[in-house]
Formats: sequence, structure tokens, C-alpha cells
Amino acid sequence: MDIEKKHFTCIVCPIGCEIDVELQNGNVVSMEGNKCEKGKEFVLQELEEAMRILTTTVPIKGAKWAMLPVRTDKPVPKRLLSKVIEQLADVELQAPVKMYHVIVKGVAGTDASIVATRNMKKVNQRKDAKKDPISRKEG
Amino acid sequence: MDVEADVTVIGSGPAGLTAALHAHESGAKNVLLLEREEELGGILKQCIHNGFGLEQFKKDYTGPEYAERLIEDLGKTNVQYFLNTMVLSLSPDKAITAVSPEKGLFHIKSRSVVLAMGCRERPRSSINIPGTRPAGVYTAGVAQRFVNIDGYLPGKQIVILGSGDIGLIMARRLTLEGAQVKGVYEIMDYPGGLKRNIVQCLNDFDIPLYLSHTVTEIQGRERVEGVVVSKVDQKMNPVGGSEQSIPCDTLLLSVGLIPENELSKEAGIELTPITKGPVTTETMETRVPGIFSCGNVSTVFDLVDYVAETGMIAARNAARFAGGDWKKGRNPVEIIPGENVRMLFPQRYSFKDDLILFVRCAKPIEKPVKIELSPVGMRLKRLYARPNEMIRFKVSRDKLKDVTGPIEVSITER
Repeated sequence: MDIEKKHFTCIVCPIGCEIDVELQNGNVVSMEGNKCEKGKEFVLQELEEAMRILTTTVPIKGAKWAMLPVRTDKPVPKRLLSKVIEQLADVELQAPVKMYHVIVKGVAGTDASIVATRNMKKVNQRKDAKKDPISRKEG
Repeated sequence: MDVEADVTVIGSGPAGLTAALHAHESGAKNVLLLEREEELGGILKQCIHNGFGLEQFKKDYTGPEYAERLIEDLGKTNVQYFLNTMVLSLSPDKAITAVSPEKGLFHIKSRSVVLAMGCRERPRSSINIPGTRPAGVYTAGVAQRFVNIDGYLPGKQIVILGSGDIGLIMARRLTLEGAQVKGVYEIMDYPGGLKRNIVQCLNDFDIPLYLSHTVTEIQGRERVEGVVVSKVDQKMNPVGGSEQSIPCDTLLLSVGLIPENELSKEAGIELTPITKGPVTTETMETRVPGIFSCGNVSTVFDLVDYVAETGMIAARNAARFAGGDWKKGRNPVEIIPGENVRMLFPQRYSFKDDLILFVRCAKPIEKPVKIELSPVGMRLKRLYARPNEMIRFKVSRDKLKDVTGPIEVSITER
């Protein structure tokens, strides 16, 4: 069977090794360009299933700011990133929230959870950007 | 109202938070931290992506997590901090005038001062893009604040000028939030941001990157309706006939950062065009005795770990200065850029400490390189040198003790 060639740029560290791989029947027959073992692991994982940490925000009420930053607590398949975002579309939280509070467990059918990445206190009067004169003029 | 302090830190981003913590740990009794916003943390609060603290904490934190960790540590100390506090002036004898809604106008007398004001983004006016002046032109950091803190999407069809890391990160962020990023245009023939960000922010989402391209016109009256992009030649001049119209409603600028040194200038601190920050020694002391500077107010760093490291050094020495343990010692020597060095920090060596040197090359070399310190006779090897990746290395005090004249740094092919 024919040899299939693939190219990867490693994202494990800032060096960014350019790695060339040759595959036969889906098996790696050669790998060149990785300067360390982590690069090899990265490529094998990319071939099997590219995984990424997702960071985003969800709306929060009763807090100083409109949005709360969140992340997946472990990498999730890259192909599911938009699905994770979709699943978060209806989430709205109420302050107070503690850092690492679990917001969605098992997001998009994975074993990863969406967790808060900061503490957000409850405040009596939310600082709402809509009240600021510039936005009012535009809106 | 008058306040007294041993060490006063201005700014509570990663540099200032780290400096305040380490001034306390280095034995300064009365440490004061000043922040003009209503929360500690500076820009970290809106940098919701991961990749922070890989070296410092061996963890892959997001910006807010990294800030919370430092804020939590600060809470365990007796470091005092004032929020909503704007420093209006700093004098060469370290007298600070500040204002806040609670305290009104007040004065601080401090034995030593650590500058940690960070940097700001270069705006449209600094790169002179021709065209109309419609709404919809933002710097990448402003757009980041809109999306990540205030919950507003700045536009739906976006063009990004400049491939700095913030621009790349916003390309991914806006795509995830449902906007269409039409492309990232970079005037240089190499990307501005880290390679890993090109992969995980652009390639992962099929966002094209156009090198040697720039925006030559902004169109639209009330709101941006499109931009014209052009190829540029080797002298970075637009090539006639290469113009292309791209309809969009938003243009983001990620065209560089400038250290914010209005206060430093007022204090009579000498700045250098090499970094646009104060001239400092390896102790982070500026040319004004007892005033130290660290983080992005000194020079714009690539990684938060470097920012924090300079904060630690500045704080340790500011605490020594405040405690009276500060001898004048030998006259400092200059550290000067030699072949293929665009930036270096610090610019002087005062024989007090080991030298942690940060350098940036002028031209990329994708081959093994050597970094030489002359006349020290020190030679370091690296696998490559890229202008968008700062090189950090340490030179021990022992190796430098016999130096009498300027130290020249060069980065060349091996």
C-alpha cells in the first residue's frame, strides 16, 4: 500500500518543531523533526484524536462583571470544541461563584467538566456596561 | 492624608503582584500596592486562555487562575493595597501623589518604589492607516475586554491586522463566539506571535495568515464596511496593483505594545529607545536611586514567567534598598547590542547580582546560533533565533567580576 505523508507543527512548547510523518496502513513508519519525546507523543495523539483545552466565558448575574471565565478541566477532542460552546449557550450563573466550581459535568459527552477560573463575588448593584453613556448612545 | 511605606509598588498586574509578594518575603515590613482599577490582577483578568505560569508554577493556568493564585498568596501577608487609586505623580525623591474616591488626593512617602505599570497597545494613529474614521476599529486587547469581561461581540466579520499573540488569541476567541475572522494580515515576512499560537489559534480554525501584507485603507462612514489590503515589498512599501478589497464590519489591530512610562518620565528616569522603558541594571534599579522597574513597563516580554521573574528581582532589591542594605559599589558598565541584536534588557551591569539577560534578535535565523558576550568570552548555543521569541539566559556574577568596559551581545549563525 502507498505511503501517506503528513506534517505537524508541535504545540507542546514554544520551539514549535516541524515534524514529518510517513504512514502505511495508518501505522507510523517514520517520524522526523521532533526534538524530544513529547513531540512524538503529540503527533501520535494528533493522529488518533487532536485534543485541546477550551477556554471561554459564560454570563453571570449579580456580579461586578457580565461574564465569568471558564475552562475545560482537561483537554477535549478538537472536533467537539464548537459542540462544547453550543452546550454552554443556555448557561447563566448567579454570583457568588468560587474558582474551580463545576458548571457543566461531562460536557459534550466527554469526561471533561467546565469549571470557573476565578472567584466572582456577589454585588448588590451590578456594574452594567449598558448604563454607560457611550453604549447608550450607540444602542 | 499622608501614608508612609518601605516599598511602594505601582500597578498590580503580574509584575506588581509578584513584586509586592516578594518585597514582603524579602523582609520589607511595610509594603504598599497601588492599583488604579477596582480589582487586583491587571490584564490577567481578561486573558482567559491557558498557557500562564508554565515555568513559574509548572502549571498550565489561565490568566484569571494565575492572578487568583497570586492574590490568594498576597492575602496571607500584611501587604496593604489601595484599589481605585491613580498615581498622579512621582518625584525623583520618591514622593508619590495619588488620588482615590475614598481618600481623595493624598501623598505617599516611600523608601523605595517599584514601577509595574505595564504597557498599552499601539493604536490606529500610531501606524497611520489611511481612510475614513468609522466605528469598528479596535485594538485586540479592547476587543478582548469586550468579549471576555463585558460580554459584547465587537463585530461579525473581522479582519485582524498584525500577528501579535493577542491578535492570534482573539482570532480564535471571536471564531468560537460565532464571528467570521476573514484573515490575519502581517506586514513582516514572519509572524509576530508564537508558532504554537499560529497552530492552535489560526490553523485549528482554518483562519488564513497573510505575511508581507498590510491594510492600506479603511472604508465606511458610520461603521467599517471594508478594508483594502496590499502586499508590501522588502522595504515594507505597498506594492501597486496588489490591492484587494475585503468586506468586513470590524478591524482589529494587534500591532505592538508600548511600555507605559509617563510616571517614569516625570520622575526624571532615563528611558532607552531600545526597550522604550527605563534604563536599568541587573537589580532592576533605574537611573534614579531607589526606584526600580519590572515587567512590561521595562520592556514588553513574551511570557508572564519573565514578567514575574523581573518583579521578584526588583522587589528583592527594593526591599534591600528600603532596609538600608544598599552600597553604591562599583560603577556600572553598559550592556550594548552587537550584531543581530534588536533588543536587550537590562542595559547596565552593576556587579551586585547575577545577570539575567533578555535579548531579541533583529533577523530570524532558522539554523543553530551562538549568542556571544564580549569581552566576557561567554558563548551560548541555541537551535534557532527568532525575533518573536525572546532569549533569556543567566550569567553568574563570578564570570562578570573582571569586566571593566562595555559588554557587547551578538546573535550569529554557528
